[in-house]
Amino acid sequence: MKDKAAIVGIGQTERYRRGASLPKSMMDMAIEATLKALDDAGLTVNDLDGFAFYGGAPADPGSMAYLLGVPHVKFAATLTAGGSGAAGSVGMAAAVINAGLANVCVSLFVLQQVPTGRFGGSSEGPRRLPSAGGGGAYGGSTNVSPEAAFVSPASIMSPGHNFSMLTQRHMYQYGTKREHFAEVCISQRNNAMKRPQSVRQTPLTLEDYFAARMISDPLCLFDYTMEDDGAIAVITTSVDRARDLPHPPVLISGSGIGGTGNNAHLLGNFQMPDLSFASAGARDVAKQMYAMAEVGPQDVDVALLYDHFSPMVLMQLEDFQFCPVGESGPFVAEGNIRYGTGSIPVNTHGGNLSDFYCPGMTHIVEGVEQIRGTAINQVEGAEIALVTGGPSSIPMTGTILKKDR
Amino acid sequence: MSTPAIPFKYMPSPLFTDPYADAWTVPFWEATMREQLTAPKCTNCGKFRLPPSRWCAQCHMQDLEYVDLPGTGTLYSFIIVRHALTPDQKDYVPYIPAVVDADGAPGCRFVSNIVDVEPEDVKVGMPVKVVWNRVSETLTLPFWTAA
Repeated sequence: MKDKAAIVGIGQTERYRRGASLPKSMMDMAIEATLKALDDAGLTVNDLDGFAFYGGAPADPGSMAYLLGVPHVKFAATLTAGGSGAAGSVGMAAAVINAGLANVCVSLFVLQQVPTGRFGGSSEGPRRLPSAGGGGAYGGSTNVSPEAAFVSPASIMSPGHNFSMLTQRHMYQYGTKREHFAEVCISQRNNAMKRPQSVRQTPLTLEDYFAARMISDPLCLFDYTMEDDGAIAVITTSVDRARDLPHPPVLISGSGIGGTGNNAHLLGNFQMPDLSFASAGARDVAKQMYAMAEVGPQDVDVALLYDHFSPMVLMQLEDFQFCPVGESGPFVAEGNIRYGTGSIPVNTHGGNLSDFYCPGMTHIVEGVEQIRGTAINQVEGAEIALVTGGPSSIPMTGTILKKDR
Repeated sequence: MSTPAIPFKYMPSPLFTDPYADAWTVPFWEATMREQLTAPKCTNCGKFRLPPSRWCAQCHMQDLEYVDLPGTGTLYSFIIVRHALTPDQKDYVPYIPAVVDADGAPGCRFVSNIVDVEPEDVKVGMPVKVVWNRVSETLTLPFWTAA
């Protein structure tokens, strides 16, 4: 499927702070972003026939097709897992188009962070409910599976807790320091500060970073992604059709949607092999994606790495081979990820940490703008962009975007 | 139901007071009532697996045997939860979720908490030993502290 499909349209709603999108509904925002993306692509709902989603989107393609008036839906599927599927959703769209299953696919995500439903929020876990089910000593009555009972008592309650556990191990194995996490946060904030649309605009200094409260040591407030509301959609179609549309096609050159099987416990039981415990779980995906696109890390001009937690940017720099395993701390300390001066500019838009949290979609949009040549923090002559989904359960995903000939 | 006892410093709020078990895991919880740590081992190929999944990923057999462990180990990783994520956790921070390599069960790890150790003294690689908390008449949980 190399270079046979292209992203041709992007659409976004207004960017809201957490909860501020009410009284709009999530579907309102999903529809709005989709219409804007189609408009950007020079297409209409009559052209749309595919829904290639991830993480539940969370919007139902059937409802969207009905509300949009899409006449024929030829493909509708959602990659499992959460933000890890972001980059893979456009890879899936490319595969679908290449296979002839659909002609024009939308991939999107919509967020509305209200108290009753925060994406990636803490799970309160099972409460004290022994009397509720009356199942006796081993009966069980609630949502604790017999396997989960081996983990639940530890009160590991959110993705932030899980990734802090990986981070602590990385610090132990490789000597990684909090200063290295701070460099990710500060570098990305600097990028966001140049962009009027970015949500976080205030300067961030090393002093600010170390003054922030610890959430789950070793991670502090700034290491955690922000939480926002809004929707972002992108449109993918065949490269032949893309060449007749308004924007220069952004080719989908390679994609990996999977992971190493024995690393599947990254967000659960912590039984990953010693050699990959402190990783983003993306080494297999990186190899597959680079091989398909017939490029290597040395060819990538800009890396848009999913940043739910700053140390996971470090571990992706290793997994996607920008530096050797264990050396991401010194690598960023040398200034390598800085826009304008670094060897591989990372998250030139500011990422989830400082630009806007719409799990992974802003990374795709930034990749598209970099290849179109319209990014605010434009990497001069950018021809190849790497976009990744968030380190999480399988599938972990990565996609190579490339400038057309 | 009475509130479970919190005998250890830095123990989080117990999330449940009955074990949730099936035929594969009942022996583990019965052993905990005797304050004996065990780990499930494939009866066919000898590979340990935690949690006790229903299939051995190495030989694809299902039968398990529970092997007594000495109750010692090495701290593999940990975090210090300083910010309560839910209101009922506010009285329990900081607490210290931990992953422990247990002696006698190579290749599998226990997910638990470090208790009775000051957070700043917790280090990856430190030797640890199991301690027991009888949460209720039907549930005894293992925790870990400095050996």
